[in-house]
Amino acid sequence: MEVSVIFPTKNRERFVKRSVKTAFKARNVHEVIVVDGGSMDRTVELAEKEGAKVIVQSSLIYPGKGVAMRDGAYFATGDVLVYLDIDIKNLTPAFIEKLAEPIIRGEADFVKGFFERAAGRVTELVAKPLLRMFYPELASFKQPLSGEIAGLRKLFYKVEFEKGWGVDVGLLIDFYKMGARIVEEDLGYKDHEMKPLHALTDMAYEVAGAILRRAIRDGKTDSKWAESYLRGVRAMDLGFGLSGGEA
Amino acid sequence: MRTLLIGGGHSAYFAANAIREIDPDGKLIIIEFTSEKVTVLSKTFPFAEVILQGIDEVEDYIRNNGSILDAVIAATESDALNLRYCKIAKENAIPLTIAIINNPLNLEIFLKEGIRYIINPYSLISIELSELLDSPAHILFKSPKTRILLASVKVSDSETLAELKNELTRDENVSAIFASRSGEVTNLLREFDVGGRLYLIGEEESVKKLLKKVRR
Repeated sequence: MEVSVIFPTKNRERFVKRSVKTAFKARNVHEVIVVDGGSMDRTVELAEKEGAKVIVQSSLIYPGKGVAMRDGAYFATGDVLVYLDIDIKNLTPAFIEKLAEPIIRGEADFVKGFFERAAGRVTELVAKPLLRMFYPELASFKQPLSGEIAGLRKLFYKVEFEKGWGVDVGLLIDFYKMGARIVEEDLGYKDHEMKPLHALTDMAYEVAGAILRRAIRDGKTDSKWAESYLRGVRAMDLGFGLSGGEA
Repeated sequence: MRTLLIGGGHSAYFAANAIREIDPDGKLIIIEFTSEKVTVLSKTFPFAEVILQGIDEVEDYIRNNGSILDAVIAATESDALNLRYCKIAKENAIPLTIAIINNPLNLEIFLKEGIRYIINPYSLISIELSELLDSPAHILFKSPKTRILLASVKVSDSETLAELKNELTRDENVSAIFASRSGEVTNLLREFDVGGRLYLIGEEESVKKLLKKVRR
């Protein structure tokens, strides 16, 4: 089975060279794709130089992580897609292999990576309570918002990509709903840049929106309840003003 | 003409209507990825054959029908898909391969991949703003099939006017129409005057040479 590694990115010239090179060293990787969100720096140029296939995401919206992930899936030709943040400072080929190999061995259709760290506030205060309520089978996932995932390419064509930060939890629910075999994989320690605090506020809202839209679709709640919950998320004090920046 | 239009979104809607007008007797096939959209498109475009295909199946469709297709227009909402389908169309020697891109930042990437005909719906933004904000000189239209260029030049002073008249007399590859500030239009060189706009049409190199002189 051939593996396509996909990096959604924007203005990450500092990390491109090393990450693309590392990805090519992983077993079964036959292409590395960088989906750029309209970088103003040399991200695109450096990615091309390292032999990555590059495409700019189809719409320049913020946050547009889901658009980039969808375009990456559409651009890829491998049997297995591995998505990674490009700013993982300690990225090794083993990260990629750990994500792809349960699928290559035929043991899973979708792999969710997790890291050695306490789950963030959006995860604990927004994602997990909603998952417990509507998709209890998924509430035990350690980091349901983790962006380090892998899956069979053909299955990615059957799910709906949220445009922004809700994409990761949305994919988890959609893969679960289609009956895919999902496993969690311990990726060890991840050294990366924290998201800015304002991004966490947006993220909380989008994550809740992604779960609630699916809960409505699956007949688990109604839009009136969902709207009122989302208003609550907007007003919620998640302590973002205090410290940290982990989802 | 037998045209395959891939995509059922915004760009494809306008493309389908344009194809119907340009080639009313031609055969238009529209490919979409979701059954709901196929149902809607079949009603919206009764003159077209609308078919449901998976993302990967489209490539097989192009390969299997390559010999009978005259044109493939990739107009999905993803530039990644548009590039993928254009490359397959080119590999299968479809006479005309056209991409309608969603993000102009992908233009260079498509060109590098050998896609020659790329429609950028956003190109009008800078053109129309240049005209409305009275820029000194800008290109209005470049024919994608020939080397013909249409440009607009503000005649801001007598020196520019003299230079333009001189060049237009010398270079037979460029024609001009002058629009005065009051809106009168003429193609008579002697009636060109300071304050209006000159519209130049001609062979690309000649028009660009003229624009360069004016900008200088």
